[in-house]
Formats: sequence, structure tokens, C-alpha cells
Amino acid sequence: MVKTNKDKLLEVALIGEITHPAVAPSYTTGWDEKPLLGLGRGGIVYNVKVGDPCFGWAWGEKVEPGASADGVGNDREKGAFRNLSCIGNMARVVGEKARARGKWGTVVGKVGYLPGRNHHVVIHFEEETLDELTIGDKVQVKAHGVGLKFTDYTGVRVISCSPRLVEAWGLGESGGKLIVPVAKVVPAHFVGQGAGGSPPEASNWDIQTQSPDAVSHVEDLRFGDIVMLEDILSAWGRGYYEGAVTVGVVSCGPTKALGQGIGVTSLLTCKEGEITAKVDPGANLKVLLGLGGGD
Amino acid sequence: MVESNKDKLLKIAVQGEIVSPASTTYRAQWDGQPKLSVGMGGIKYNLKVGDPCFGWASGDHVEPGVTIRGKEKPVPSQCALALLACIGNEATVISGEAKGDKGVFTGRHAGSDDMVWFPDETIENLVIGDKVQIKAIGVGLKIKGYEDIRVNKCSPRLLESLGIEVKDGKLVVPVVKEVPGFLMGSGIGWGTMLEPVDYDIQTTDPKAVEKYGLETLRLGDVVCLKDQLCINGRGYYRGATTVGVIIHGASDYAGHGPGVNPILSTKDGRLDTKIDPDANTALYLGLRDKL
Repeated sequence: MVKTNKDKLLEVALIGEITHPAVAPSYTTGWDEKPLLGLGRGGIVYNVKVGDPCFGWAWGEKVEPGASADGVGNDREKGAFRNLSCIGNMARVVGEKARARGKWGTVVGKVGYLPGRNHHVVIHFEEETLDELTIGDKVQVKAHGVGLKFTDYTGVRVISCSPRLVEAWGLGESGGKLIVPVAKVVPAHFVGQGAGGSPPEASNWDIQTQSPDAVSHVEDLRFGDIVMLEDILSAWGRGYYEGAVTVGVVSCGPTKALGQGIGVTSLLTCKEGEITAKVDPGANLKVLLGLGGGD
Repeated sequence: MVESNKDKLLKIAVQGEIVSPASTTYRAQWDGQPKLSVGMGGIKYNLKVGDPCFGWASGDHVEPGVTIRGKEKPVPSQCALALLACIGNEATVISGEAKGDKGVFTGRHAGSDDMVWFPDETIENLVIGDKVQIKAIGVGLKIKGYEDIRVNKCSPRLLESLGIEVKDGKLVVPVVKEVPGFLMGSGIGWGTMLEPVDYDIQTTDPKAVEKYGLETLRLGDVVCLKDQLCINGRGYYRGATTVGVIIHGASDYAGHGPGVNPILSTKDGRLDTKIDPDANTALYLGLRDKL
């Protein structure tokens, strides 16, 4: 097992609320200059879960699997929900009136660049919990992961990644490198929106899905897939850096909007080659965390 | 000289107000170091179109000349100024000590807003809060025979000064540099409109800055962005070509760098470029005699 400082991590409560779907008030325009009205972004999506394909949903635009929550309160309080929640953290439905009260889910993605500068924390729930969930229900996340470090790989920055995921991931070590299972490696020229965003703990990178060569490279991706973005640094902000890599999880689906696409929430980054990818089609949160439902 | 539909363009008044620079706290650079930046917003007495993008002390996203902002809506990017003003349009100061003085619209920065060039004697008399009105003309501009090429934020005056030639059925536009598309960063994917948003040539990686010769870039430079499509939004498209104007300076923040207003873009292969170190709006629009 790769050594970490997990015994020194604080575990704190964060409160959020299940969102309404984010639907634009009028048609926008896709890269093909046709009108666009999409669905599947935020709220409760009953029939898409981690493990399901990203492409192919009718009128689907930036589809988020399962349920999506955002922070409540002022911007600082919302910031805590967005920045401190980590992939693999447990989230519990709370509130006296909530039918699904007491049911647990798992944080599987974080997505930004929503209208009104909103942000979604994507949460996987079992089928019966999703059926009981209502828009507006409160969820409390046991946030655990900020400050996580690999003791022997100080050049690797860990972002939004829980110890639970680190331990389930099957990370290896060889020749002084951290060996990281990923479903796919994506070159930097396909990577778009996300550049310039900060902090990398919130929000996401996008793999652009308009150019036919980009689409064919990623058309078999699934929600929850772990991917590596080449020449992409997500240390203190997000940007292009030759030789760097960012490893993240697919947290939302493709879109026709230019420069946008499949969302990738950052988990690990380094700039000096400390991480080596091991391509493994099983590198998906559904498998790694044993999440039910989906294909 | 290319022919256009300039006789059919509407000319509209849009208005903005000189805004104060904004400053809150240190922000983390790409390498984790804190920075208190200067150069966005307000009146810059010693920075003009044609000056270098790099090298200004504590400068980040430096904006040449005077920065104004539309005020008729709460979000500046939704104001008429942001959507309709085009590079090369005539600006007039309409309040304060410099009332009546003329300038030129030089670009739009989504992060801070719209930029206007004024002569030195006018700049000395300007005050934060003064109003500027612009005769906006350029939205809807098309090049005859090349209607597939999307024209954006480009006045007929700028289009005619770009030195465009026609060769083998393609438009050939002089540019100072070709920039690989994978360097395009902040602003990419932001919304599905082209007019209100610039996007940045990333200067996060010092190796990339050197490798692609970015350190010589100047404000106002016309550049080519390879494999970038800017028709409604901004993004990667293999084989596409975008020509744009550098409207703000370099940055130490991850994913940021000199900002580009796309002015010509197509994925259909009829837009070509050639290198010319003098391809700069300061010369094209008569804002200075030499770089």
C-alpha cells in the first residue's frame, strides 16, 4: 500500500442541497450552429449512473450521473462544500422531512462552469434512494481528503481525492514512480474549458467533444472513468504545462458547445513525471468503490 | 483589398464608463507564489497598444490605455458595449474635462472589460468615472466570396487595414506568429457567444513561452491560432484556423496569458496566414508610427 498522511487529515461536515436541473432559459447554439436545448445537467437523473456511457443520451448535454447538490448559504459556505468535498466521500440525506433521510451516497464528481457561477457536487445513490430523493433535500458530506499527501511522492499534489479512493484504486510503485490505473490517456490538445480556473479543488477540466478526432478518441468513456490528461497541471490553478499530468475522474458528459465537453474532476497532479499511467478499463469508480446500478 | 458588405452594416451608439482598477488580496500564481497584480482596469498612463505583453513589474493581464465598462446591465458582458463595439471603432469622451476628445476601441477583455486608446493629452485629462461613447460598427460584417469565414469584433476599418491578400482561393492574413491551439486556455468554452469573451494564450509553462517565442508578443499583435474554431464560442477543431488580436498582456496565473479577441475564423480551410512582424493594430489604426 502506498504510504499517505491519512491519519493527520481532518474529517468535517459540509451541507448541501439537491439542485434543480440546470436548463438554459432559451436555446443556445452548438458548434454546428444549430439551436441547442440540453438536459441531464444537475438535479436528479434517475437513469444514468457511474459506469454508464457518456455519449448517446438523447439531447443530453453535460449529463451528470445520479444526483447533484450545491452548497447552501453565502459564497464562503458554498465554497466549503465545493472545495472540501472529495471523490469517494460519504454523503447522507438529512432533514426531518426527507423521505430518504439517513440514506448514504458517495461523492463521484465535481462540476463547475454552470450558469450563475453555480457548481455541482455529483453524488451516487442506490436506485431506491434516488426514487425517494426530492429536489431541495439536504445532504451532509463527511469531507475527508484535503491535505492528503503521498509520503514518498512529495511532487504529487492530491486534489479532491479521499483516502477511501486512494486505498481502493490499486496504486502501485515502480522505479520511484507512482503507478496509477487509468481507463484512458488524453492529450492536451483535446483539453479545453477548465484552463485558468482556480482552485483546482472545485470545478473541472473539459475534454472537448466537437472536433471529430477528439470525439473518436473519447467516445467509449464512461461516467466514473479515471483518465489521465497529458501536459496538464492542476496544482495552484489549472493550465498547460509540458511534461505535467493531471489524473481525474469523468464527472459529466459531452456537449456540442465549443471548447466544452466531458468533465474531468482533478484527483492527482504532478509536473516532473512522478506519475506513470497504467491503462486499465476497470479504472472506474463503479468498480473501485463498489457502487451499485448502471451498466 | 477584400470586398465586404460594409455598406449594409448598422452603426450604433454604445456607451461605457471608465472603471477603477479592482484589487482584493494576493492570488496564487501557477507555481504557488502569491501575487498582487496591477494593470487591469482604469487608466494606464504608460501602457499602450503596441507595447510588450511581458515584463511589466507585478503586471498581470495588463490592459493598454483606458478600460471602460457598460453599465446598463448588472453584468458587463451583457451590455451593448461588450457585444457590439468592434476593434477600430471611433470613441468619444462625453463627460468630464476631456469631453469631445476622440479615441479608438482596441479590444474586449472579459475579465475586466472594454479598452479604448486615447492620445496622451487626453489620457492626462481623463478621470475614473468619465463616460465614453462608441460608434459601434462591425457586427454582421462579411467578406464577399468568403461568407463561411466568421468575422468578429472587427470594424470595416480594421478589416481593410489588415493587408489581406487572395492566393489560390484563400485569404492570406499577415500575422506576427502562429500559436499552437493547445496553448489556448482561460476563456475557452466560456459560453456559446463569441463577441463578449476573449481567451488566453497560456503562459503557465516557462518552457512553452520560450519554445513558441511568446515573450516577444505585443499588445495589438495579430496572431494565428492553429486548430482553433471561433464561430460561436471558442474551442479545438482540427484543421480550423483563427486569426485574432492580442488585447491584454501575459499572466502568472495558471491557464492564463495574453488575451486574444478572435477576428476571423473558419474550419473550412480558406483562411491562411503569413508572418509579418508589423502585423499590429497600433500600426493598422494609426495609433503609433512604429513598434
